[in-house]
Amino acid sequence: LRFRRDRWNVVALVAVVVVVFLGFFGGAVVSRLVGHSGNEQFPFAANSVLRPVGPFVRVPAPRHVRYDDYGGLVRPRAGGRTALLILGADGPLGRDELIRLLDGLRVSLSIAVGAALIALLIALPLGCVSGYFGGVTDAVVSQFTEIIMAFPLLLFLVFANTHLQGLRAVGWGWEFPAGVFDEALLIGVFTAFYPTRLIRAQMLTLRNAEFVESARMVGASHWRIMRRHLLPHLAPTLLVWAAVAVGTNILIEVGLSFIGVGVQVSTPTLGSLLTTVWGTVYNPQTYNSHNYTPWQTILPMLTIVVTVAALNRLAEGIRRAMEPKEQR
Amino acid sequence: MRGRYLCWRLVRAVVTLLAMIALTFALYFAIEQHPPMSAFGSGPYTAQQIRAVRRLYFLDGSKIRLYFDYVSQLARGEFPHARTIDSSGRVVDAGSPSLYLAPKLRVTLAMLLGGAILVLLLALPLGALAGSRIGSWTDRCISLGVLILLCMHPMMLGLILRSAGGRLDWLPTSGYCPLSGHATLINSNGQPTGTCGGPLDWFTHLLLPWLTFALLFLALYTRMIRASVAETIHEDFVRTAHAKGASETRVLRSHVLPNASLRVLTMVGMEIGTAIGVCIYIEAAYGMQGLGNAAINTLGGNGDLSLPNTVAIVVLITLIVIIGNLLVDLLYTILDPRIAIRRNEGQTKSLVGGVF
Repeated sequence: LRFRRDRWNVVALVAVVVVVFLGFFGGAVVSRLVGHSGNEQFPFAANSVLRPVGPFVRVPAPRHVRYDDYGGLVRPRAGGRTALLILGADGPLGRDELIRLLDGLRVSLSIAVGAALIALLIALPLGCVSGYFGGVTDAVVSQFTEIIMAFPLLLFLVFANTHLQGLRAVGWGWEFPAGVFDEALLIGVFTAFYPTRLIRAQMLTLRNAEFVESARMVGASHWRIMRRHLLPHLAPTLLVWAAVAVGTNILIEVGLSFIGVGVQVSTPTLGSLLTTVWGTVYNPQTYNSHNYTPWQTILPMLTIVVTVAALNRLAEGIRRAMEPKEQR
Repeated sequence: MRGRYLCWRLVRAVVTLLAMIALTFALYFAIEQHPPMSAFGSGPYTAQQIRAVRRLYFLDGSKIRLYFDYVSQLARGEFPHARTIDSSGRVVDAGSPSLYLAPKLRVTLAMLLGGAILVLLLALPLGALAGSRIGSWTDRCISLGVLILLCMHPMMLGLILRSAGGRLDWLPTSGYCPLSGHATLINSNGQPTGTCGGPLDWFTHLLLPWLTFALLFLALYTRMIRASVAETIHEDFVRTAHAKGASETRVLRSHVLPNASLRVLTMVGMEIGTAIGVCIYIEAAYGMQGLGNAAINTLGGNGDLSLPNTVAIVVLITLIVIIGNLLVDLLYTILDPRIAIRRNEGQTKSLVGGVF
């Protein structure tokens, strides 16, 4: 395979696989290993001004925590049961940063992948029809995508955040926390114009190709031509698009967290882990080393950078492997 | 050909604008079915008061007629006026939103223009450096640094820079100073801390926001210039220039980089909308009262949604995008008259860092 010739492609592929595995199974595995979940709070994991502890710290387990008559914490005797916080705690509540990071990765990935699928569902029919038939259909669809493109997405999101609370209802257990679906829907609908244009451009060049002509001559219907002859040609383009789109969607999710749209606060995402330190648009906070550790910024950022960079590199690798004539 | 193309573009721009206003109307009336009666305290309310509030929130007449009223008023070049309730409980005119939005527009435009210039100032040397040494460590370091910046969120980057700036105390870290006249600076507790104004204050107060803006968009432009430079550096005319004894910088500056200008321009046109979105965050991070701030206050406020203000903001932002794109198109035809004007049909929106 031409794809395997560049070792960075392989590195990127491995990184993406690792990230997906970590996201979907890491949280559960780690919480089984260390014996607590991402929502468990350790009062001793944050000091008196609520600055969380750093990596590799053992703190007394929650059930050994006693309060004195004034509501202050009583430090338990040495030798009691402790819990290991591998990457420290996530904030004043003292939850396990590593587990929350992995869970956040899972939620962010489901949002990103879901949004890409929704965008594809919208783009495929629109792009195919407008590219294949052309003429008036094409003009209408193009105008429509232009409006969506020009629509100030952020304005809508700010607006949706305050006024469309009913959106938050859909959710299903651990795998699919409430808010994931509607966030994916929002991102998907507003990014669908991009694959629509890609598919349309591809269709425009393909519809007059010889094999389409010949299929038409033997009497194949439009539907059959699109499904059997044209769709397979879209696959490489869409694969590249999907890899990039998932990366972009992760970044968009971070952005949405910063305007307070999206999943509930108790559900971690890569974005909401960052907002605990930096605040949202409504209450931006400058860095305060009394209350926060640098880990709270560095760890989610690193996760985002690795994920997005690997996805981008993967897309680049696939594209180069598909188009040998492309200059490097 | 050119005239016809521009006409077609204008028609489409107007259609987009009209659709945008219609969408805003639809969203507004979907929400304001039960307007807040807060102007009259807690109930019970008289029929007159209910009528007044319905009038205040534009729920009393035909929505279609209201839409056409708005559009015709905008076509005459003025924003529809907002309404308010005075002390005697009557609905009165609250003046044009342009009074409220004009200073904010100035802030955002200063951000956009200065930021764009700084992006180009940083991206051109970096892109040229990376592009002329593809595969070297310089290239890798630049690409990696730019990639990390790409994954930053504007607000986080802004706040990081602001925190660092506050620690070093070199530059003012918040607020906006007008270019002419004076403004009162307010600290985070709402207390006035002094006045400022004039070109120097204007510049120093905007420097950090500009830097934030530039670092965010650096990735796209550096990558593009890098690719373009890498393509043209092996062309015959570059070799000729080298053979004639021109220095490396001279070859890059006057023979290689001009070839990247068209692509950069296309990118600028496509990224204007994104840039305005980014402005919302940067303004929030630096406590500047710009259009983004207005949008957040108007749209995300505590249920007090004002139709004229919302429409005015949507129209202003759309106009910035449309006018910016038209300018880019014009520049395009001036820079390179050979090429057909059907640009970016196959061109695509930037791959990563699209919408934020």
